[in-house]
Amino acid sequence: MSLEQPEPPTGGDEVGVTADGLDYDELAALVGDNVIDREQHVNAEGFVIRPDAVQDTLSTLRNEAGFDHCSAVTAQEYDDRFESIYHLKKFDDPTQQLSVVVPTTKDDPVSESAEPVFRTADWHEREAYDLVGIDYEGHPDLRRILLPETWQGHPLSKDYNQNQPQVVPLREHANPLEEDHSAGEDSDTMFVNIGPHHPATHGVLHVKTVLDGEQIADIEPDIGYLHRCEEQMCQQSTYRHQIMPYPDRWDYTPGGILNEWAYARAAESMADITVPEYAQVLRTMSAELTRICAHLLALGTFGLDVYGDFTAIFMYAVRDREVIQNLLEDLTGQRLMFNYFRLGGVSWDLPEPREEYLEDVRDFIDELPERLEEYHDLITGNEIFQIRCIDTGVLPPEVAKNYGATGPVARGSGIDYDLRRDDPYGYYDELDWDVVTQDGCDNYARVLVRMREVEESAKIISQCVDLLEEWPEDDRDIQANVPRTLRPDEDKEVYEAVEGAKGELGIYMRSDGTDKPARFKIRSPCFSNLQTLPEMSEGEYIPDMVASLGSLDIVLGEVDR
Amino acid sequence: MLPLQSATPLPDRISGLLGLGQFGVPGELLAGLLASALVATFVLLNTAVAGPWAKRKITASFTDRISVNRIGPFGLGTIVVDSVRLLSKELIIPERVDRPAFDLAPLVLASSALLGFAVIPMGNGIQVADPEIGLAYVFAIASIASLGLVMAGYASSNKYSFLGGLRAVAQNLAYEIPLVLTGVSVVIFAGSLQMSEIVAAQEATLFEVAGVAIPQWFAIVNPFAFGLFLVANLAEVGRNPFDIPEAPTEIVAGYQTEYSSVYFVLFYLGEFIHIFLGGAIIATLFLGGPAGPVLPGIVWFTIKIWLVFLLTQWCRSAVPRVRIDQLITIGWKGMLVLSLANLVLTAAIVGVIA
Repeated sequence: MSLEQPEPPTGGDEVGVTADGLDYDELAALVGDNVIDREQHVNAEGFVIRPDAVQDTLSTLRNEAGFDHCSAVTAQEYDDRFESIYHLKKFDDPTQQLSVVVPTTKDDPVSESAEPVFRTADWHEREAYDLVGIDYEGHPDLRRILLPETWQGHPLSKDYNQNQPQVVPLREHANPLEEDHSAGEDSDTMFVNIGPHHPATHGVLHVKTVLDGEQIADIEPDIGYLHRCEEQMCQQSTYRHQIMPYPDRWDYTPGGILNEWAYARAAESMADITVPEYAQVLRTMSAELTRICAHLLALGTFGLDVYGDFTAIFMYAVRDREVIQNLLEDLTGQRLMFNYFRLGGVSWDLPEPREEYLEDVRDFIDELPERLEEYHDLITGNEIFQIRCIDTGVLPPEVAKNYGATGPVARGSGIDYDLRRDDPYGYYDELDWDVVTQDGCDNYARVLVRMREVEESAKIISQCVDLLEEWPEDDRDIQANVPRTLRPDEDKEVYEAVEGAKGELGIYMRSDGTDKPARFKIRSPCFSNLQTLPEMSEGEYIPDMVASLGSLDIVLGEVDR
Repeated sequence: MLPLQSATPLPDRISGLLGLGQFGVPGELLAGLLASALVATFVLLNTAVAGPWAKRKITASFTDRISVNRIGPFGLGTIVVDSVRLLSKELIIPERVDRPAFDLAPLVLASSALLGFAVIPMGNGIQVADPEIGLAYVFAIASIASLGLVMAGYASSNKYSFLGGLRAVAQNLAYEIPLVLTGVSVVIFAGSLQMSEIVAAQEATLFEVAGVAIPQWFAIVNPFAFGLFLVANLAEVGRNPFDIPEAPTEIVAGYQTEYSSVYFVLFYLGEFIHIFLGGAIIATLFLGGPAGPVLPGIVWFTIKIWLVFLLTQWCRSAVPRVRIDQLITIGWKGMLVLSLANLVLTAAIVGVIA
């Protein structure tokens, strides 16, 4: 059990909070006439509301019932209607969940935008519009987000014709060298495209920047360059085996095993599969190894952003990552695209000889404190590093919550939110570890959070190694009994999330009675975190923007999916 | 052993050796050219080793890698391979560049640094010229490089280059003054701007430790000025923590973003010559020039400039870069004040002693 007990829900004044969970009737009464129907989802109840009452409902739920975290917006098309689902949670207690379902007619798919209530809905609704084709009334800037602006049709809608040729004459559509007058005709500002190919964008991110001298007057991240239709690919694959390799490709830093867990958790929750304890320990250990790997890469690339191309930090980080990758290779057979989890368990037990492998893991954990000391000497103790990072890229907690920021970004802003503890899964609640938070809200705090989380992960791993060593030999079940073909009941809906390397990685799935999901939606933490970049960077200098981008630790593979 | 310094400049000695004296002015010209060629070859040789090979090896050892090791002993053949590779690349000149300026910028940068070496006493009498205003000449000629950077930044017709050019000017302005002021404090000690005089002034023994004479190098006499000069020099040559005119992760490569092939080589070369010129100035002003025990002067001189080069690479591997506004603040509010204080203090002390 975690030493830091989750704070008791501040629920006294929050409507619907009772000792045994949420009282949905009371919540429904709170929202009143806006609710036209109620649905049962696996993770929570869903309120079906009128499409013109979205803002009213959500703001009531946020202000009076304490649902301050809009995880994601899922859009989908049924035979007779379009539907947007707002997955609401509480930062204080993410087990208290509620889905707000907004159906619209097929002829006129217009529903009210939630953007004025939750800023995070901005991008999420743009994505829904882009891929499914729902129109959000009152949205400040409803443009396509993942696909090119000139794309014809909405790929996840039912009447989308995949064979229709896409003629995208972007050259005539947008001129990248066009003079920019977005700040007025006589302004002294300069428009600069940072990316999609730029040393500091960590992949193919395009940041449209308006500079006033060296300072940033306006900034807009433009994503979608790495969109690979991951959601659609998952919708065309079977639950049992075909989907699992895809999560490795979302966050490839590698957050692979953590991503696999997101799918595993959602699918197991949907199909009601219980994972054997022993497999849970294996999962926990491998996931935390991956997390250390991912955090070290984040640290190394942040070093590149702040130090320059020839820094020692990157190679130091890669050196330590290499050890973990060797460990993971021994365990899973892969260094990057692990494909280690199975529904109901994992693919293999520890490699033989077990003792030797566990000894290797332990050696790494034992060396880690010394290595971290080295990083602290080299990085966080450096005074130039401190003047560069402290009080730059400030993200106040309220803003972070409004944007749905999670993971080290939220914890760097002092938000005590970690799904491993707050919405326990795997073996985490049996182990002794702490959730790391920092109150700095700046780039420095985010770096510190990651470095300290590495220590916590090491604690978890070391306890897992102890458990695995002592685990009785006749009780080593790595796999539950799962039918060869999974066909969850029709219209079963589930949204489950795990704590990925970058934050809350959630999966929404709806079953239609076949062996493939009817809708597969990925709630990517990077997607929501990246949205905070303008908040952190406007008015700051270019180098600070670059540092903020580095401290957000985005992976474009996960942002664009 | 050859004398550390020679009263006759290198061109005269070459002229004497080859008997060029009888040809009058053309003979002197030829001797001057030969002497300059000798010095330039020496500098370029150092640069050739530093650029494609030593820099990689040094950075690699800081970052726990092996680096080039395929061609020749210790991978030294890479120097030849890389030169051929760089020179054989296509020279791409973007459409809207400002032509003469775009072409001249790399030349200005590389040649300004090379010209500075004319007055540096390298030991064994290797010094092309020894004017009385030697130090002023070196500072003046080295700062022409800023002009090259502005030309490159402006002429490239690229916003990143433009930003890089602006940053370069701001930086050079802010750090040139502390650099010169700190140099002046040495001049107060030495009582001359002439490079040979400055070196000669450092020959005297400061004190003896166990029978070993510690010379009166200005780095030992005034370590504070030495530190200031090292920092200002880092900013002058644009290396971490002051590499913001290029800052690859911010403005791609700054003023050299649009340069390719030979032009890029000239930039690259120019930067390295500048680092070595910085090292040469530091060696001359603070480290007794080519002075040193046992080995000939030219070897000591080479060791000293390489030590400074090593320092720049070390900083590059381990020190974060400051932000542009912080850089300017450090320059104008920190370095300038400190170097003025150093100057006044030195003047007062020298005045009291003398």
